[in-house]
Amino acid sequence: MSSLPDPIQEGLARGWKVLGGAHGALPASITCDVAIIGSGAGAGITAELLTKAGLKVVIIEEGQLKSSKDFKQREPEAYASLYQEAAGRQTKDKGITILQGRSVGGTTTVNWTSSFRTPPATLKYWQEKFGLTDYTPEALAPYFKQAEERLNIAPWQTDPNENNELLRRGAAKLGIKAEVIPRNVKGCYNLGSCGMGCPVNAKQSMLVTTIPFALDGGATLLVETRAEKFDISNGRVQGLSCIAVKPNAAPVNANGVATQIVAKHYVLAGGSINSPALLLRSKAPDPHKQLGTRTFLHPVAITTAIMANAVKAWDGAPQSIYSDHYLNTQAIDGPIGFKLEVAPLHPVFFGANLPGFGEKQAQLFRQYPNANVMLALMRDGFHDQAVGGKVELRSSGAPLLDYPLTDYVLEGARRSMLAMAEIQFEAGAKTVYPGHEMGEGTTTWLETKAAINALPMKPLLTKIGSAHVMGGCGLAADDKRGVTRPDGVHWQLENLSIHDGSLFPTSIGANPQLSIYGNVNRLAQGLAQRLTNKAVSLV
Amino acid sequence: MQRRTLLKLGLASAVVLAVAGGAVALMQPGLQNGKLSEGARLIFARAGETILAGTLPTDEGPKQIAINSLLDRIEAFIAGTPEHVQAELSQLLGLLNTAAGRRGVVGLSPDWHEASVGEIATAFQTMRVSSVSLRVQAYQGLHDIVSASYFSGQESWAVLGYPGPRAI
Repeated sequence: MSSLPDPIQEGLARGWKVLGGAHGALPASITCDVAIIGSGAGAGITAELLTKAGLKVVIIEEGQLKSSKDFKQREPEAYASLYQEAAGRQTKDKGITILQGRSVGGTTTVNWTSSFRTPPATLKYWQEKFGLTDYTPEALAPYFKQAEERLNIAPWQTDPNENNELLRRGAAKLGIKAEVIPRNVKGCYNLGSCGMGCPVNAKQSMLVTTIPFALDGGATLLVETRAEKFDISNGRVQGLSCIAVKPNAAPVNANGVATQIVAKHYVLAGGSINSPALLLRSKAPDPHKQLGTRTFLHPVAITTAIMANAVKAWDGAPQSIYSDHYLNTQAIDGPIGFKLEVAPLHPVFFGANLPGFGEKQAQLFRQYPNANVMLALMRDGFHDQAVGGKVELRSSGAPLLDYPLTDYVLEGARRSMLAMAEIQFEAGAKTVYPGHEMGEGTTTWLETKAAINALPMKPLLTKIGSAHVMGGCGLAADDKRGVTRPDGVHWQLENLSIHDGSLFPTSIGANPQLSIYGNVNRLAQGLAQRLTNKAVSLV
Repeated sequence: MQRRTLLKLGLASAVVLAVAGGAVALMQPGLQNGKLSEGARLIFARAGETILAGTLPTDEGPKQIAINSLLDRIEAFIAGTPEHVQAELSQLLGLLNTAAGRRGVVGLSPDWHEASVGEIATAFQTMRVSSVSLRVQAYQGLHDIVSASYFSGQESWAVLGYPGPRAI
């Protein structure tokens, strides 16, 4: 038994109102001031601020409530209980696998802690193309600063592990700038298991910060509860139907609504696939056919290197070094830009991402301690061949993202693989494998360059993943270009706000968690002011 | 109903279904009450032998124990997936368990019992780079489920040199 404090167990013991699953049956109906759908980055910030303003808040989360005692640093349990679709969520053609969180805290419970403000170039594009004139670095700065202070976000002070250091070393040899990543941690043990939930509560996720704050302030949390449908009439949300779900998202009862929630205001913060899906299921007004469109992923291309020396990529802070060289040295609307980072490698993640099978795969497995997987996060949404995907509904009402990989994006995969392989060789790689079904391991940069240039870049053949979902309910200055007003309110539904990554009219071009925290911080403060006439802030 | 859902597996799957022909009507689901059917267990066992060749124990006894353990973990993984994933997998495994599906999707003439690991490996390599989406999707589904399930087992970590979670 761990002797570490467990803030969730302690909170439950002092009387938090949590229902659903093993915590107790859902009541037939609930009335509140604000119903918040989701418990991730946007939901947590909103819950804290609205509770602080004295509002009666109900938080609705489809996943389970887990805590540090449940986080055993073991992949199978973590993927099954903390991720959407058991970490196997895929786009419609199965061309992209999406890692997205699904438990209290949402993706913030399982992400790798990288925290970046929205880049000024991204905001400039939003101002110019979507009329978001108030989305400037200066206007947002105080809200980012508060979020950084509240969540302990600061550049990582400890030396990077070898997995990250080799990115810095290889980049330096090529004259490419690489920098330290800000992380949201307090008392970090440098374990490397952030993706399986933090067993020491060091990661300042929503699970251990804003959600406990809201619950201590009297908010109610419904878990294992899916927001199924809004009842909409007269330009307003009149109610929200929820159902109880099993850990794999199947309904507990085949027939019927478990609970009906009536609120004065609703905040949708289920993430960029589930939020549009709830609006689609609810047949929300969508006069300009914007809903669910422009959903972005930062499609990620990879190269795997076997380094001359041990890397032990499972150990230590997962991400602490990045390079924006290939974002900052070219036009935002030119060939697709990409951010470079590395991936922590645990056995299941490594096994599922390895190219090939049989003896060739076995050779790679045996060199696991020396392996490095580099990531290129491609900045989608800034070019007419990078319009992202569209959220659809399956016949069951479950969401499905159709994200066709265009030649433009796939050429970005090729360019990024070239960039990554060159850095890996400079850093001491013996062999590099492009993430491609036809890719073979090659042992020199020139040989690898030729091999990558010869690969046919096609969906499925080119291995593409993603851990960032953005857009689908985009912000815009008018209803023809987006779903959500600049103040976060739905263009056609006056008592519905959207407070999550689905707001973003393009991808961010950086890991999006701090962008969600900062932007939603401003929107939620505005909402609290409108609902209560009180000024609240995160710090 | 089955046919319509299968078509969603990939744009080019109609080609495969044309090859499979009437077999679709005779298909048995690959999952029954959430458990792998006998045919589906055989497919995953042979896929496991092929994908993990060079990694699995070489002696027959320990190899069989490892495969049985793999199948248990695959079943546990599938039980945690959403209903639509289970339905799709059930249909795919059902299709691969018919002679026409085995030939059309996998490109394997001998049945799953009789085929050698070498024959299955040749078929998988062709699937892997096929221009027919369904064939690549089926290969990747088998590969990812087998690889991820195998390395989720603690006994596989010694092969990797992974020390396991750090004590806290």
